[in-house]
Amino acid sequence: MKGISLIIVMIVGSMLIYGTLEMPKWGDPNAPAAIHVSPRYIEKTWEETETPNAVTSVVADYRGYDTLGETTVIFTAGISCILLLRKKREKAGGE
Amino acid sequence: MWDFIVSKYNYWIYIILMMIGFYGMMAKNNFMKKVIGMNIFQTALILYFISTAAKRNATLPIVEYHHGHGPGIVHAVDFINPLPHVLMLTAIVVGVSTLGVALAIVILIYKRYHTLEEDEILGSKGK
Repeated sequence: MKGISLIIVMIVGSMLIYGTLEMPKWGDPNAPAAIHVSPRYIEKTWEETETPNAVTSVVADYRGYDTLGETTVIFTAGISCILLLRKKREKAGGE
Repeated sequence: MWDFIVSKYNYWIYIILMMIGFYGMMAKNNFMKKVIGMNIFQTALILYFISTAAKRNATLPIVEYHHGHGPGIVHAVDFINPLPHVLMLTAIVVGVSTLGVALAIVILIYKRYHTLEEDEILGSKGK
């Protein structure tokens, strides 16, 4: 089992490293991620939300519904932990 | 050649970290170690996305302002990309949720089988 896992890990890792050869350089200001949509958020964050921190304005204003959905994720995880770990009553059906 | 290594080594470090987590998830026999491997995997992914936010000669995406009037013209080149930070905030939330549920399931498995080794659990028929 360990040998098969090691071979799978080697194959997947070398495929991922082959994929990075075409990636933009680290810290490149002209990388596609840095020039396509993010300048709009940085430049308009004060005008549209009056929040100096761009991360805060995106989390709580532009993507507010997404943050609301995150609270649903946390709530579901908490409820499932409670359901899994609650003490069962004696006559509740047993194992 | 040296420039190439310097410009790509962050990706390689995160791939190695991710593969350590992946190997732990597949090869380890103990469920707790599998959960730790899953967490290492998620952390490597988060680090990778955060590293794509970096820009040379840029600072944190917080614009400078004075009370009463705004910051004036903001140049996007001076600030790093805020979007990977935002999306990884969501990924951290999902990671914490899966970790919590996985630990609860591990506790249940231990209560029922009194062991966390995978082969011992598969060998026994349960109680």
